Amino acid sequence: MFRHTTLRYATLALLLAGALFQALTAGYFGLEILTEILILAMLVLALDIVAGFGGMVSLCHGALMGVGAYAFTILSTSAGIAPPIAMGGAVALSGAIAWIIGAICSRSHGIYFIMATLAFGQMAYSYVFEAPIFGGDDGLSGIRRLDLSLIGLNLNDSRTFALFCLVLLGAVYGAAVLILRSGLGRSFSGVMHNEQRMRALGLTVWRVKADVFGLSGMIAGLAGTLAAQHIMYISPGLLTWTVSGEALVVVILGGLGTLVGPLVGAAAFVVLKHEISGITPYWHLAVGLILIGVVMSRSNGIFGWIEKRWGARLDRRLADATRSQDQKEVTTDA
Amino acid sequence: MAHDLGFWVLQALNALQLSMLLFLLSIGLTVIFGLMHFVNLAHGSLYAMGAYVAASLAAVGGYWMGFFLAPVAVAGVGVLLYSGLIRRMRRAGPMAQVLVTFGLIFALLDLTRIIWGDLALAIDVPASLSGRLTLLGIEYPVYRLFIIALGVAIFATLAFVLGRTQIGAMIRAGVDNDCMAACLGINVERLFFIVFCVGCGLAGLSGAVAAPLLSVTPDMGLQILIPTLIVIVIGGLGSLRGAIAGSLIYGFVQTFGAVLAPQLASVLIYALLAAVLVIKPVGLFPAKG
Amino acid sequence: MLKTRELDKKFGAVHVTRQVSLKLERGERRVILGPNGAGKTTLFNQLVGELTPDSGSVHLAGEDVTSLTVAQRARRGLSRSYQKNTLFDGLTVEENLGLAAAVHTGHATRLWGDSLARPEVREIVQEVAEQVNLMPFIHAKVSEISYGVRRQLEVGVALATRPLVLLMDEPTSGVGPEMSKAFHDLLNNLPRDLTMLIIEHDMDLAFDVADTITVLNYGEVVFDGAPNEARGSSLLREIYLGSWEDA
Repeated sequence: MFRHTTLRYATLALLLAGALFQALTAGYFGLEILTEILILAMLVLALDIVAGFGGMVSLCHGALMGVGAYAFTILSTSAGIAPPIAMGGAVALSGAIAWIIGAICSRSHGIYFIMATLAFGQMAYSYVFEAPIFGGDDGLSGIRRLDLSLIGLNLNDSRTFALFCLVLLGAVYGAAVLILRSGLGRSFSGVMHNEQRMRALGLTVWRVKADVFGLSGMIAGLAGTLAAQHIMYISPGLLTWTVSGEALVVVILGGLGTLVGPLVGAAAFVVLKHEISGITPYWHLAVGLILIGVVMSRSNGIFGWIEKRWGARLDRRLADATRSQDQKEVTTDA
Repeated sequence: MAHDLGFWVLQALNALQLSMLLFLLSIGLTVIFGLMHFVNLAHGSLYAMGAYVAASLAAVGGYWMGFFLAPVAVAGVGVLLYSGLIRRMRRAGPMAQVLVTFGLIFALLDLTRIIWGDLALAIDVPASLSGRLTLLGIEYPVYRLFIIALGVAIFATLAFVLGRTQIGAMIRAGVDNDCMAACLGINVERLFFIVFCVGCGLAGLSGAVAAPLLSVTPDMGLQILIPTLIVIVIGGLGSLRGAIAGSLIYGFVQTFGAVLAPQLASVLIYALLAAVLVIKPVGLFPAKG
Repeated sequence: MLKTRELDKKFGAVHVTRQVSLKLERGERRVILGPNGAGKTTLFNQLVGELTPDSGSVHLAGEDVTSLTVAQRARRGLSRSYQKNTLFDGLTVEENLGLAAAVHTGHATRLWGDSLARPEVREIVQEVAEQVNLMPFIHAKVSEISYGVRRQLEVGVALATRPLVLLMDEPTSGVGPEMSKAFHDLLNNLPRDLTMLIIEHDMDLAFDVADTITVLNYGEVVFDGAPNEARGSSLLREIYLGSWEDA
């Protein structure tokens, strides 16, 4: 079950401050990187909800994001629907598809679950690749960003768009916390801890799994609509399983089941990618080695490692501080 | 659309050839999983490595040098992987293992790019296997027939080794219950090591065999990984029977799907996998229960 | 309240449950005795739906539930505890009870609001924690409490769904004799209208709680009656105590 610790709040504040600073001061290239981080962060939040809190390690979240991107593009360009409604429709569609995948895969566990989600992701990829309306390998372009001129915002400005993504990411983070703390989210964690017992208590396990997977799919779809608007061009590459694999890597590098960790992971991953690919074309080698190192170190990613080292100490110090303050109040009362 | 007999024979042979190639790859992966509960996602990268080694050796000493030495070289890489990584990950959960081998995919992909470059390599079919053979009224490349024969031979050998020999009995005992096997005095760790290396060798062999058919590129390992995983999940993890059944199903569905229903072909196999997982969540012929 | 009609189950050639017919009245406390391998747990698994019988039927509060799933039977008021602790290990005692209570109140699948903060859920948690003496440990994690307390929680989680019928699979398994006695007192203090079916290994302790006793041997009911009859029964002594001493 998800809890906010002092360390998590502190990290969130730090991340927010960093993102705001970057959004307000960076040039075009810096803003592009920031937006890339924010969109990836949204995708990995979606993945962490299901993988970190329900043990549903999905390899189709990249494809769900792709579904969001394609649905938004088709709806807003060929179908001529207003972009905000297209966004809503795309989010709903990816949520519905995710719900169905979650329902079908709810009986599979471990490696079988991973394979099953992989199969569904690849199915979506093949479909998009083959069907003529999706433009095949060439992809689709001509995507317009949301028109927010009513409230005086121009999203075609990269700074505004980055801030827009940041606001949405904040909202998604809040939604993720609410989902995990809801009755549904708690039951979902309960299923991860002990599925047999939850069933024996009378819970319809597949429904809970499907519901949360669907919600997570909606978030992935939202990330997809943003990705489409960001690059203003989409191709089937968005749906390949390696995108899901990379998202999983980011979740693991950041810290599975911590929500905050994957955000750290997303920032680290994108920055690292750009830094390393500036030095050598072989950045996959570096990422691979880092991943192997992190997993073999047995810690729960970067953030998990930090939490283990400093989290408990920080909480204890704060608890001590509040207690001595309480005592002072008691003595003054007396 | 009417098809004559020749068409069906041709497609059936194509399907068989694809099946056998996948069988060579999946058998190593599935037995490693059955025995060690270890999913080696980097298995496809080992296949790519086999193809590269075979291509390089073929340029120096001809096709057969690559054919025989590539599996040995890849098994050697297997030895390194086992002692450096896999053994230490034995006690870690399946999730950690999937991730470590996922990291390996990345690392091996770039390593092959560093060693062999980004350009595709080509390798010629050996003179003794070039040309075509007339069979049931159609002409079919000898090399492809060779692959089918090789697959059948390896299947027969493995069936014999697993079913009739002592080491086979030990492996089956280990797949069934590794703790119990250890209690019976079987050196399970050594068994793991041998099976892992043989599995890697077979991956190398399939790379060497596939090299003349496809162009050898760094991402060929990634491309073959998904079909291989589909094969072992449809067949059921851990069993020889599952690997051959899964390979045949994949080969035939893919080949006939592509010629009979081209619009559906790519989605068909994934839909089949999904159906299998829904109806039998552990595959058609799992090694256990 | 709970009734079975000629339940039969075979695992291959082994006949694990033979034509078992049981009838529990509302508020009845029945103990199932029998040596190891008599088919007690297999019978339980068929009652709750984790196993499907080859033939025969299970009725709960007058309804045939034989074809219902585990979760459906649980929602109709059939709750079980396990012989081997089946708890939510990373969570606190309060959260363990709360998860179960939320399923009962219907908050377990709601997207709005924290189920554990609901007054209805909190009330059940509080009440059950008092019933099974868990108040001192309410905020402790499962990993921080002793084995004996975990056994109490095991029953507590089953109780928190407010069942009509509570099935307990060796609630005192692995607990010392003194604690077992306290455990039986605890069971005796549960509301009288709760129907209980308990698998118990220790005969003397079983007599503490039982209104009626069923003895299983090789999957067959060999005795069904009041505890004092059971005490005097030579048949029971022979089957049960014979194998008891062998074990």
